[in-house]
Amino acid sequence: MTSLLDPPVKLRLDASDNLRTTTVTSADLDGLLRRVAQRDADAFAAFYDATRARVYGLVTRVLRDRGYSEETTQDVYLQVWRTAESYDPASGTALAWLLTLAHRRAVDRVRSEQAASQRESRYGSATVEPPIDHVSDAVVTSDERRQVAACLDGLTDMQRECIELAYYQGMTYVQVSERLSANLATVKSRMRDALRGLRSCLDAR
Amino acid sequence: MTQPHDGVQDGDLLDLAVPYALHALPDGERDALEGRLAHAALYEADAFYDEVRAVRETMALVSSAGAAEPPAELRQRLLSQVAGDNVRTLPTARGESGRRRRTTLLTAAAAAVIGLGAVGVGLSLWPQPAQPSTAQQVFAAPDVHTISGDIPGGGTATVVFSRDKNAGVLVMNNVPKPKPGTVYQMWLVSDKGETSAGTMDDKAVAPSTTAVLPDLGNSKALKFTVEPGSGSTQPTGQVVAELPLV
Repeated sequence: MTSLLDPPVKLRLDASDNLRTTTVTSADLDGLLRRVAQRDADAFAAFYDATRARVYGLVTRVLRDRGYSEETTQDVYLQVWRTAESYDPASGTALAWLLTLAHRRAVDRVRSEQAASQRESRYGSATVEPPIDHVSDAVVTSDERRQVAACLDGLTDMQRECIELAYYQGMTYVQVSERLSANLATVKSRMRDALRGLRSCLDAR
Repeated sequence: MTQPHDGVQDGDLLDLAVPYALHALPDGERDALEGRLAHAALYEADAFYDEVRAVRETMALVSSAGAAEPPAELRQRLLSQVAGDNVRTLPTARGESGRRRRTTLLTAAAAAVIGLGAVGVGLSLWPQPAQPSTAQQVFAAPDVHTISGDIPGGGTATVVFSRDKNAGVLVMNNVPKPKPGTVYQMWLVSDKGETSAGTMDDKAVAPSTTAVLPDLGNSKALKFTVEPGSGSTQPTGQVVAELPLV
């Protein structure tokens, strides 16, 4: 699936002391992460700047609580600092490694909050719109966002619902099937079709 | 559970790759699936992890759509937090993106430790890297030592180490997972004090876990404590075990 990243993801690095923005490619992120593994704090700061909006956006979408999201984002990057050397480029890009880690943390948090207090009012109910954000083109290009939004729009409502519940609300596929009164095989195939649709749409960009 | 479900018992492995990649499997099913993958045919496990990888790359791209700026204070907090942080989480042989060949190394390491003389056989299954790994160098070192001890509460910890290579391999078998909110932390004890050698959280501790200790220095012992959160800079918690490195 390397074609997904070819051309490379256009991440951008915005150095606050530098008006010039530099495009950070997927390979650059890998290199930064390798330097983080060597305890390079500057590389860590650059890695944070190039990825923070994606991580925070994802975590906020899952947790829907500002305080939790800040704590979880901080935990995610502390884990990056401490575990960077376990990143293996052979098993994917640095960006996918990071967002997998962030998603895992956010899902663990949402499940433990639910278990602790059954806060149905906060977490149980309908789809919440993604945060209205103000990320500059320096971090994620508007072009890229338009394309991803178009690909998400290309899914069927049922496919999108499955992704929303499982990925953004942290439900297990068993919970998704209960919520939708659909059988497990149906839920699994909707999830699979949704991912296939997204992948080929993004690939075709 | 309102309906029967096949879970990982008879479902097609590949069918579960998407929910696995999206962290949408219940914990028990995820563990059972990983167990099945470790014993599945190599091509099946590879197909599974290829799918997982593709899903995660796709969702990484999708993340641009929901990007949102975190508060600026977070950056400062984080940078000052890492500035004084020397805790390193041990890379373990098992991980979410773990591949079958990692399990092979783990098995080889465990076999070497219990003296089956399987090192040659086991390591030859590992695709030979240009540079032998630290673990391979330790196992092959002329001055290789093995020290083993029971962990109160269950399981054993074994360190295979070489002073010559200044490194060791830790193998933990059947050690219970740390309680939620805590980690096991390893400390190298020398005349100068205790230096963190890494942490293992509940996800890192598997029925059989291996980790590399890259820099033994002048340490005389490896000590295990239970520490809160994701680890401490100095040991604060209960000492679980101490292995003399002699």
